[in-house]
Amino acid sequence: MTASRKILLALGIVALTQTGVLAAMVIDRVRLLTSGREITLPIVPVDPRDLFRGEYVRLGYEVGRVPARLLDGPRPRRNAPFYVVLEKTPEGGWSPIKISRAKPGEASPDRIVLKARSVFGWPETTSPTTLLAVRYGIESYFVPEGQGKRLEALAREKRMAALIAVDARGNAAIKALIIDGKLQYEEPLF
Amino acid sequence: MSWYRTRVERDLARWQSAGWVNEAGASAIRADLQSRKSAFGVAPIFAILGAVLFGFAVMSFVAAHWTGMSKLARLALLLATLWGCYGAAALLFQRQLNAFAQAAVLGGIAVYGASIMLIAQMYHMEGNPPDAILMWALGALLAAVLVRSNPALAATFVLLVVWTCWERGLSQAAHWAFLIPWTATAAVAAWLRWRPGLHLAAMSLVVWLVPLGYFIFNHHGHWIVVLIGAAVAVAAAAAGPAIDRTIPSSAALFAYGLVVAFAGLYILQFIDPLMLYGSQQDTPSIQRLVLLAILTLAMLLVAMLWALGADNRAALWLAYAAFALEIFTLYLKTFGTLLNTSLFFLIAAVIVSLLAWAAYKLHQRRFPAGATA
Repeated sequence: MTASRKILLALGIVALTQTGVLAAMVIDRVRLLTSGREITLPIVPVDPRDLFRGEYVRLGYEVGRVPARLLDGPRPRRNAPFYVVLEKTPEGGWSPIKISRAKPGEASPDRIVLKARSVFGWPETTSPTTLLAVRYGIESYFVPEGQGKRLEALAREKRMAALIAVDARGNAAIKALIIDGKLQYEEPLF
Repeated sequence: MSWYRTRVERDLARWQSAGWVNEAGASAIRADLQSRKSAFGVAPIFAILGAVLFGFAVMSFVAAHWTGMSKLARLALLLATLWGCYGAAALLFQRQLNAFAQAAVLGGIAVYGASIMLIAQMYHMEGNPPDAILMWALGALLAAVLVRSNPALAATFVLLVVWTCWERGLSQAAHWAFLIPWTATAAVAAWLRWRPGLHLAAMSLVVWLVPLGYFIFNHHGHWIVVLIGAAVAVAAAAAGPAIDRTIPSSAALFAYGLVVAFAGLYILQFIDPLMLYGSQQDTPSIQRLVLLAILTLAMLLVAMLWALGADNRAALWLAYAAFALEIFTLYLKTFGTLLNTSLFFLIAAVIVSLLAWAAYKLHQRRFPAGATA
């Protein structure tokens, strides 16, 4: 093979591999959005100074604060993934019932496992009332320019919820926002 | 004119007057220097700058029209730009415009990274941001290996450092995983026989190694860092010729080892307690500080003498700078405390004078009387 053909092949492999990685990112996300289990989580207002950042809206969830006493097994390390098991409440919402570092197998339709991270260290000693802030990767939402303020106001009035897709590995993605019970901001796949 | 040519010109005049080089030889050497192209030509620099500016232009265009486009259009735009960069690189390589081709490869890597970020934003992905940087770094490493691209390798090292610093900042724990891609990238630098790449490998390892002390042995692992740095410097000094037979690197290794050892000692003396506790509660006693300072200054003096003897300019200047930094920080720390400042300066003056005397003796032994200094 000549030198110039070799370099052509090398560049082709680089471009193809990088395209493959980017495509895998998109396909993985589309798969999660189309085949993931759907749950609806009510949105609660977060620190108002932090809510609207540029064209991002920061979304807070009731399940984003979990009681530390639910921990089962070793403490999660800072910024390392762990799992939160949610259970359906009689009112139709979801509330956390267990936290663990290993992925729990929960087959019940009334339970769902979410992968979470905490940017704060897990306290060594916890009182039964300690609440921990965890993130599920569904806390920021990119909105068209000028819509941030409106969503901010809706969140403060607690009129908003998020439709979340969750896959078998516990990854979560925002599918749509629900305002006053009506589906809005539905995410197009492509 | 490059500094090298200036120097050769000066030496040529001397060699000619000594009769070692005749007129014909001198003009042949000058002609050879004249014909050699500088490794840092202007064209490649402008090509790289052009690639960077082009990247910014694309990004600002995308940012301005982003929301008006469908996701599919955005993806198509990103991929078209990516393939456009590598296609341009292929064309430029074929026309033997290698420097411009390398700039296009670097542009491709930049677009790849921007695409990762933009897709993550498009689909509201959060995950762990450092993971995205690692993905970017691995894409750059692939280009470095397959295209034998030095700029891509440099980009890989920069991205790996960003990755490890971010991950360590978030997890507040030692980040051992860094060593895996670092080893692979350093091996590629050695394989490409690119000396600046090996320096980048050493520098990125230094950035990883120096703060390691905070994250091992319950935040008190700085001694380990000092010992590693000292061991590298001593090994480079002791086994210099043996190391240089494989890759001529012992002089640089000595300098890097010295920097790591000094950084560790500096943290032990001045930064460790303050950063961890923010109070005077656990600051080292003045005795400990004095002991560590003596150890540090002694280490730097030994390093200076060694560097003088081995004609290791980089290590010599680093040791001078470290010495100055050490003295200056000690002065700030001891001002108005137990050690009387004037007494401190007297001691420092005695040490430096001894150093000057030792250096003079060493110089005299190497260049006996009569030789020009």
